Amino acid sequence: MVVGLKEVSRRNAIHVMLVYSGGCNGCDIEVVNAIFSPRYDIEQYKVLITWNPREADILLVTGAIVYAMKEPLRKIYEMIPEPKAVVAVGSCAINGCVFRNLVGDVKHNPEVLAPLEEIIPVDVKVPGCAPRPEDIVAGVVKALPKILKAP
Amino acid sequence: MQAPNKNQQVVEKELPIGPVHPALLEPFRIRFFVNDEIVEDCEVVLGTIHRGVERILEGQPVERALLITERVCGICSNSHAWNSVRVVERGLNIEIPPRAMYIRVIAQEVQRIASHLIFLGHAMEVIGHETFAMRAFLLRESFMDILYYIGGNRVHPSVPVIGGVRPRCEITEGLKKLILELLDRGEKMFKAYVERVLADPLVMSRVTGTGYLSKEDAIRLHAVGPTARASNVRFDWRMEMDEYKPFTFDYIFLEDGDNKARVVARALEIFECIKIVRQALKDLPEGPLVNRNWVPKRMKFTDSYNEAPRGELYHSYALDDYGRLRHYKIRTPTITSLHAVEYAAIGDHVTDAVLTIASADPCLSCCQRVEVVDVKSKKCKMFSSPIEVVKKYGWKR
Amino acid sequence: MSVLFSRGICVISASIALLMGSVIAGMERKVQARIQQRIGPPILTPGFWSWLKFYYKKKVRPLATAPSFYIWTVVLGIFVVLLLLIVTLPPVWGFLGLASILGVVGFLKLEELLYVLMGSVSQSIMSVPLFPWDIVRGGKVLGTRREFFEQQSALRALKMIGLGSIPLYVAIAVPFAMAKSPYISDVIRLQNPAFFTESIFPLPSSPAFFTVYGFFASIVFFIGYVILLNDKPFNIIKPKIDIMEGGTLEYGAIYRAYMYIFSQVMAFVLSSVYVTLFLGIPLDVTRPALLALHLVLTLPLPIFKAVLAAFSPVLTFRQIYSASAGLTAIGAFALIASLII
Repeated sequence: MVVGLKEVSRRNAIHVMLVYSGGCNGCDIEVVNAIFSPRYDIEQYKVLITWNPREADILLVTGAIVYAMKEPLRKIYEMIPEPKAVVAVGSCAINGCVFRNLVGDVKHNPEVLAPLEEIIPVDVKVPGCAPRPEDIVAGVVKALPKILKAP
Repeated sequence: MQAPNKNQQVVEKELPIGPVHPALLEPFRIRFFVNDEIVEDCEVVLGTIHRGVERILEGQPVERALLITERVCGICSNSHAWNSVRVVERGLNIEIPPRAMYIRVIAQEVQRIASHLIFLGHAMEVIGHETFAMRAFLLRESFMDILYYIGGNRVHPSVPVIGGVRPRCEITEGLKKLILELLDRGEKMFKAYVERVLADPLVMSRVTGTGYLSKEDAIRLHAVGPTARASNVRFDWRMEMDEYKPFTFDYIFLEDGDNKARVVARALEIFECIKIVRQALKDLPEGPLVNRNWVPKRMKFTDSYNEAPRGELYHSYALDDYGRLRHYKIRTPTITSLHAVEYAAIGDHVTDAVLTIASADPCLSCCQRVEVVDVKSKKCKMFSSPIEVVKKYGWKR
Repeated sequence: MSVLFSRGICVISASIALLMGSVIAGMERKVQARIQQRIGPPILTPGFWSWLKFYYKKKVRPLATAPSFYIWTVVLGIFVVLLLLIVTLPPVWGFLGLASILGVVGFLKLEELLYVLMGSVSQSIMSVPLFPWDIVRGGKVLGTRREFFEQQSALRALKMIGLGSIPLYVAIAVPFAMAKSPYISDVIRLQNPAFFTESIFPLPSSPAFFTVYGFFASIVFFIGYVILLNDKPFNIIKPKIDIMEGGTLEYGAIYRAYMYIFSQVMAFVLSSVYVTLFLGIPLDVTRPALLALHLVLTLPLPIFKAVLAAFSPVLTFRQIYSASAGLTAIGAFALIASLII
């Protein structure tokens, strides 16, 4: 099977960007642990970290989406060049965790706009409160085939 | 274009730092007003992570308060959980077995160590030194392992429960030995790390002399926690709490008041926390872990203060006849400390000002409130969410 | 015939520069990772596979006040850096007098100016437009000009041109002062006279690095190398913690590939200029053994730069000005002494 230069280069260099959109900070610290802690070093898997949407392939979103962060998230998603993938990390991004589901007398919390699927299209979901760094690395690797097969 | 502000100063331009930025990982917005790269004034805009926590707690049964308040902040989660449990224990006079009290203190102090190590790693990264930042995150792993063995999860260990601790958090003899080993190893490596950082001339030349906050300003602007203790304000809530009476340890008060003092104060507090954990493990009394004979009933409005890693924390609520929560109020330490260092950042270069704001260890997820001030009638009203304000008053400028 | 020959040599040298630049970028990252006690990325990943991957992404138009000018700046940058490499090649030494101190210093100054041009036009969404609700009634100081990250970076780049890059030029002038002539051919004639007679493997007889003044000038050149490439501790124009990447924020897809190529080739070319001027071994494609020696000798300088970057924070202007003044003093001492003696 002949593998083209396009697929080989996309497999060998992956850029990841983190956007934290308003949860409790726990998932964020676990992602930073995966990047900065030499125990879980993510760079050895050919994944490089960037803070610029123009340079990213995969977008990691943590936190329950708050009213004030909806527009910034959409703008950043549009700035990333094709092909791209989105990974929702943590229960807050998948279904709102405590903030959307355990409400009292108010019956509905209008501040929190989770799940993330209603705002931008999502490819991989990593559950947990907070998910361990090993799970986050596995999630990033699982989002790869969408980018490798894109034209 | 130049515009005068209230103090009749003229500033040249404004440099806003936006929600998504590598300096402070949480969403925030800081506006620096600079004159040729020296900061004349700065404003921190809150309200970017408002989730309406106090609003969703209204009407819940009291056992559920723990689940929600623990997730207010991911780094100091044990302080919030312990404080919300303490309110109902003080209000209804529930007796706590002594073994449970000691285990709660152990979990709190280990999480304080982990929180201060995140701050050290983050401060080194804001200075620009990647190697020291990675070393601090590696040192933190041994303490996260201790939390994992006690509570079951690295980030939200959920140790306290109304009446004691969870039965899973039992400390057996084997676990005691393991924790002591991990503590010894962590302390040795941390000591070498602190000595190496303090001996580095480039890092010290960045932090010394910038972001000065005097003692009078710290008291006037209500700074709390290690931010105030680094400016010689002599108060720590652990002096007043009964749970800490059996232990002997020192409080760290420093006199310089600049960025170096704030970093060193937190580094020295870690050694004191290790002392407390060792004493607690040695003297751990026997007995049950939890006291389950209490019933939720009507409770007057009670409050409780605690020492979180960032300063003074306040929770208060009341219970109605069926035992449901009413009027939950949380006041976190970051609200005032952040505005105190806003004042301390004036007069420095922009890069040093970012370091000053990060040196107050802001935990922005904790501190989102909405308050409306009516200037004409001089009254002020608290709302729970910005959406209510917008619906009532519209988007007015 | 000789025109075709020298054009072929230029093309081969450009491809060597591209390849070596990628390898150097990967080795820097690997050395830093090993110092930080972790396994780093594989050697070809940050350099070669990265810009190849960016080439295959869908094209995006940069958000700038003058997008075509913004793209043109980085293309000009690659051109200028390759020209700097080409004027140090032996077949081009006689061309228009550019193979002299004037050509080297001129092309380097032009390359420094490009950061100012990039920063003045780009307007990324990551700075001002991302959060529109902070201008409210009752806020502090309404009505001033709001500045983007890239504009602040252009201002800082201007300050670095004025005061931060003087040590490098003082250090470059020292080998020319030793040879008492502004031409590169005379510098090589002083340090490696066998280059013009022997044809297989002419080693230099008295390289400038092994003299007293040349040694001091080498140290000053090394720090000037770090300053010119905007690496820690002197990366105040793109410190990540303050204004993120500075002027290059809006390059995406294929233009980012160009930007990566620009910075990687620059790292190789400056190191190659050092080996030519201070060690007396020019980049000669017709003598393969000498070419291999030259390429191996360009590696230590970036590796020392990576080790220095792993152990230092970002310095602000009040420290950079004093460091620059001290280094200029050392370089000026070496320059004046080698002019007199």
